[in-house]
Amino acid sequence: MNYQWNFAAVFEHTDALLHGAVGTLRLFAICLVLGLSLGLVIGLARYARHRLLNWPATAFVEFFRNTPVLVQILWFYFALPMLVPFEISPLMAAALGISLNSAAFSAEIYRGGIQSIEPGQWEASRALGMTGLQAMRRIILPQAIRRMLPALTNRAIEIFKMSTLASAVAYVELLQQGKLIASLNFNPIETYSVIALVFFVFLFPLVRATYALERRLAKGD
Amino acid sequence: MYRWDFLPVLANADLLLQGLVNTLAVTGTALAFGIPLGLALALARLSGRRWLAWPAGFVIEFFRTTPPLVQLFWFFFALPVLIRVEMTPFMAAALTFSIQSAAFFAEVFRGGIVSIERGQWEAARALGMTPPQSMRRIILPQAVKRMIPAFMERAIELMKTTTLVATVSYADLLFQANEIAQKTFRPLEVFTVAAGIYFTVILLFSLMARQLERRLAVSGESTVH
Repeated sequence: MNYQWNFAAVFEHTDALLHGAVGTLRLFAICLVLGLSLGLVIGLARYARHRLLNWPATAFVEFFRNTPVLVQILWFYFALPMLVPFEISPLMAAALGISLNSAAFSAEIYRGGIQSIEPGQWEASRALGMTGLQAMRRIILPQAIRRMLPALTNRAIEIFKMSTLASAVAYVELLQQGKLIASLNFNPIETYSVIALVFFVFLFPLVRATYALERRLAKGD
Repeated sequence: MYRWDFLPVLANADLLLQGLVNTLAVTGTALAFGIPLGLALALARLSGRRWLAWPAGFVIEFFRTTPPLVQLFWFFFALPVLIRVEMTPFMAAALTFSIQSAAFFAEVFRGGIVSIERGQWEAARALGMTPPQSMRRIILPQAVKRMIPAFMERAIELMKTTTLVATVSYADLLFQANEIAQKTFRPLEVFTVAAGIYFTVILLFSLMARQLERRLAVSGESTVH
């Protein structure tokens, strides 16, 4: 247990870590936007009564919720290029896998949130002469989003954690850079400890904020 | 147009099956250690003694907020340097996923225990039980029943997370699929079949969990709404 810790070698590569952090944030932003917006579309489709909309949306959600996201990323990276005529970059494969996976999970959040709104709200909007879509946009969604906020921030945190999986297809993000630094300097302890801490320091405030949000909403409702 | 050919996959079916068995082995091991450890962490966090509650809270929060892949790399590449033991991929995976799932199970336990009405504690005390006795005899049996759906959900999440061990060369289903894909030059078929196997197995567990959840909801004992 008398290992000599030496963090200097890690901090010599701060620029590489920053480069990785930019990659992580880029992937996170893409997946957050794509995942949550596609999730809304699919959540609404699942809520639709029409079978042509409802059924494919359900199949999509079940498939992506019930397969591991790493399998999806590797599928998009290694298998999809066989079917399409263009190259799939590591960023594309990772973004596709994580976005579609998050879309499936957030679709369920949207559906649950919309269903939690009392039927009286629908009836009142109809009484005011709104169409179904108008009622959804103006009355139901604004109320539902408020209730869904903690679950959606949780999803965002999950997406951030999932972004590390992109290192499996050699996309340049924090963990991938950590791997390089560790193999260059033979200092896995310091490097991986720093990487873990970076994630913790970044995500923990978000987690606390989600807790606080949950408590406030629990009081408000 | 791409011509699908599943024969090379079928020829390697035994490797895939072995991979599935290994996946289930890691999941089972992590569950076997993760659930008791999770209970211990939850009890420590709820104990009201700061020297117990604080470290437990830290472990729970740390392992819930850092990516599991980073944890796995730490246990596989960093820990052996620190304590000078030979770490096999299986050991690293078992260790990582036991602690990681314990952190999540701890929150499930805590939620279940907190959801039991205070009257149950008071009644147990009125009957002359000490707090540990009431926890063991009165609170936990009721709490565990309410936690079952959340447990199943976590166990399914754990099974999906175990695919990460493929990155440290443990021969789980995903790793085997990757090997076969490289050997046969049929990545499309191999990865599609692997995804199909995961989907089938996990969907089966999910359906079982939902069935159980519905049964518990009927008797009004579930905390999941």
